[in-house]
Amino acid sequence: MSDIRKAARRFALVASTAMAVSLMTASSHAADKVTLTFANWAAAEGATRPGIEAVIAEFEKDNPDIQIKSEAISFSEIARQLVLRVRSGNPPDVAEIAGNDTFLLAQTGKLEPLDGYMDAAMKGAIKPAALQGFQVNGTLIAFPWTQAPAGFWYDKAVMQKAGLDPENPPKTIDELMKDMAAIKKSQPDVIPLGLDTTNRAFALQSNWPWMATFGANPLDVANKGAESDAMKAYLTWMRELAKKGYIDPGRKIGEFRPLIAQDKVAFHWDQVLLQGVIQSVNKMKDDEFYKHYGVTTQPAGSSGKSYSFEGGHQLVMFADSAHKEAAWKFIQYLSTSPFAIENYTLRYESSLTPLEKAPSEALAKKLDTPIFNAFSDKIMGTVTTPPYGPNFAAGATAVMAGVQQAITSDTPIDEIAASIQKNLAQ
Amino acid sequence: MAGAGPISANAPARRNAERVAWFDWMVLPTVAVLAVIIGYPVVYTLVLSTKKYNLLDMTPAKFIGGANYDHLFSDPVFWHSLGNTAIYTFGSVVVASLLGLVLALLTESLTGWRFRTARALLLTPWAVPFVVVAFLFRYMYLQNGGVVNAVLLDLGLIDRPVLWLNNSALALPAIMVANIWAMTPFFFLLLSAALAAIPNEVIESARIDKAGTWSMVYHIKLPFLRGALFISGLLMIISNFNDFAKIWAMTQGGPGYSTTTLVVYVYRLAFENFDFGYASAIGVVWLVLLLLFALAYLRALRVNA
Repeated sequence: MSDIRKAARRFALVASTAMAVSLMTASSHAADKVTLTFANWAAAEGATRPGIEAVIAEFEKDNPDIQIKSEAISFSEIARQLVLRVRSGNPPDVAEIAGNDTFLLAQTGKLEPLDGYMDAAMKGAIKPAALQGFQVNGTLIAFPWTQAPAGFWYDKAVMQKAGLDPENPPKTIDELMKDMAAIKKSQPDVIPLGLDTTNRAFALQSNWPWMATFGANPLDVANKGAESDAMKAYLTWMRELAKKGYIDPGRKIGEFRPLIAQDKVAFHWDQVLLQGVIQSVNKMKDDEFYKHYGVTTQPAGSSGKSYSFEGGHQLVMFADSAHKEAAWKFIQYLSTSPFAIENYTLRYESSLTPLEKAPSEALAKKLDTPIFNAFSDKIMGTVTTPPYGPNFAAGATAVMAGVQQAITSDTPIDEIAASIQKNLAQ
Repeated sequence: MAGAGPISANAPARRNAERVAWFDWMVLPTVAVLAVIIGYPVVYTLVLSTKKYNLLDMTPAKFIGGANYDHLFSDPVFWHSLGNTAIYTFGSVVVASLLGLVLALLTESLTGWRFRTARALLLTPWAVPFVVVAFLFRYMYLQNGGVVNAVLLDLGLIDRPVLWLNNSALALPAIMVANIWAMTPFFFLLLSAALAAIPNEVIESARIDKAGTWSMVYHIKLPFLRGALFISGLLMIISNFNDFAKIWAMTQGGPGYSTTTLVVYVYRLAFENFDFGYASAIGVVWLVLLLLFALAYLRALRVNA
């Protein structure tokens, strides 16, 4: 009996020592390992989730001391949630953000300035314009991840059916109106122009270049920009589009994408990523796609100039992050590593990289397509940045409500313009 | 009847005899919980409504007294939203209650499997989640490819698709149709139950008096249904006053401000502009209006009891 007791005591001693050693080892590993929280919508969308998960897995493999905790938040929710988390002192380390939301977050003063983290080599590798857009009060508040400017897409098959030259898309608003009339006449079930006219900040961002080509700046409240002749000309044009059935009001930009893939939209104002969406719907090979679709600069309005908006995604680091060096490493990896560019930016976002030059020959070849070249060579130069910030978010409701009123009612344009101005001035 | 007198006469004495004073304190935990989960947010909203407080501005909120309320009186969007809320709420409730009443009267005489089948079919819309209802109708109303336009075009009732949700004059009524479709079963259910509770003697004596169908409905049944109609109507008024999901999913308050109700406006102010001070001021007005309906509801319940 005593032998059994002794053996049991020995076993207990050995087991507890082994457990203590393994716990100590595990805790020392855990102490070395940094966990970064990454709030993003890439993991919230089925189309991009596999891509971001693969890139995160590869990053963790390359950096065994860093673990990424991906927090999936939808695109429409992310700004709201991040602002609330900043206010409650619980922000993530890194977040994906875009458009006006980037500048809203910067307004809280809780974004870590990124200038100090960039060495000269990195500064030289990024397109200067890509960095310039995210300077607030002289500091870099966000790092460009993908670049996705908007272009004027055209469906060559629809144009051909309407008797138009598919290689000669409209260059001015007047030419556009003529082409849309021909399309409407020959194919009544086709939406001549896909434009997002919803009431949200993104819709104002998307419509900003169209206002700009008429010379309008509705947010110039001091100079009554909403009541300017240029803004009235833009609103009158939008009303004409609606009255003639050239646009389908109320649809979000994403709702036109499956339709253009099925030749149900002739011209579409959308970002570079449209190619990926169309191909995922109609399963076209690259060559077929380039024969079927094209993209060019926006048809110019009365100002004689074409404009675009940059709808790419950025990465921000929060000032409260306890692991800033690791966070910066992750940001750099997502944005500039060949693996991330190939397996996320190009494959899942169909977007441009902020790098001046592709980091490898193979990637340079992948970026050498008619669509990417059109965006890089022609469209990027027409990008205009709206006056982002809290006033843009507040103004978007007033301006887009006015645009919607112009296209869905018979209220005189002067009255609508005055009402936008009044609501903006409040 | 012999026993009724002594029981009612003794009731107050028995209540007093059984009353234990400290039992009253048992309500304290409930009051404490309610104070935390209802009282605190209400009081905090009242406090915020007197401050300039924007979530994007990290400086402390500033006390500005009644300035937010002053702004509210001169804000055309607020008044427009209030008007839309009234039209949406009362319009939906009146039409849905009338439809529910008609359906309850039509199915009243059905029995057995016929009644069960009719009731199951008529109650189906009530079981569909509101967001699903909103998206169903949104796609049905589409200008290109929507089933409503397709049917009307096929029947020759229209010669071009109607912009149901993208016409300032039609958008609110179009959402109300979806709302009425979803809400009618509630009235049908309550009124069917109320109809079943009418004493047979009353119906029989009306029949003996040779009351016609209309006379039976108007003079006999409707007076019995008045209480149920009033209470269910008030409940639905309160519920519709707060309805956000359907409107947001279908139009996000547009086109223009044509479907912006108070709840949509407050949401935009609070979660798009992060202007919590002004949003709270509108929230307080909204709360006061809802309280009035809630008081009317409680009073109706008491009178009914």
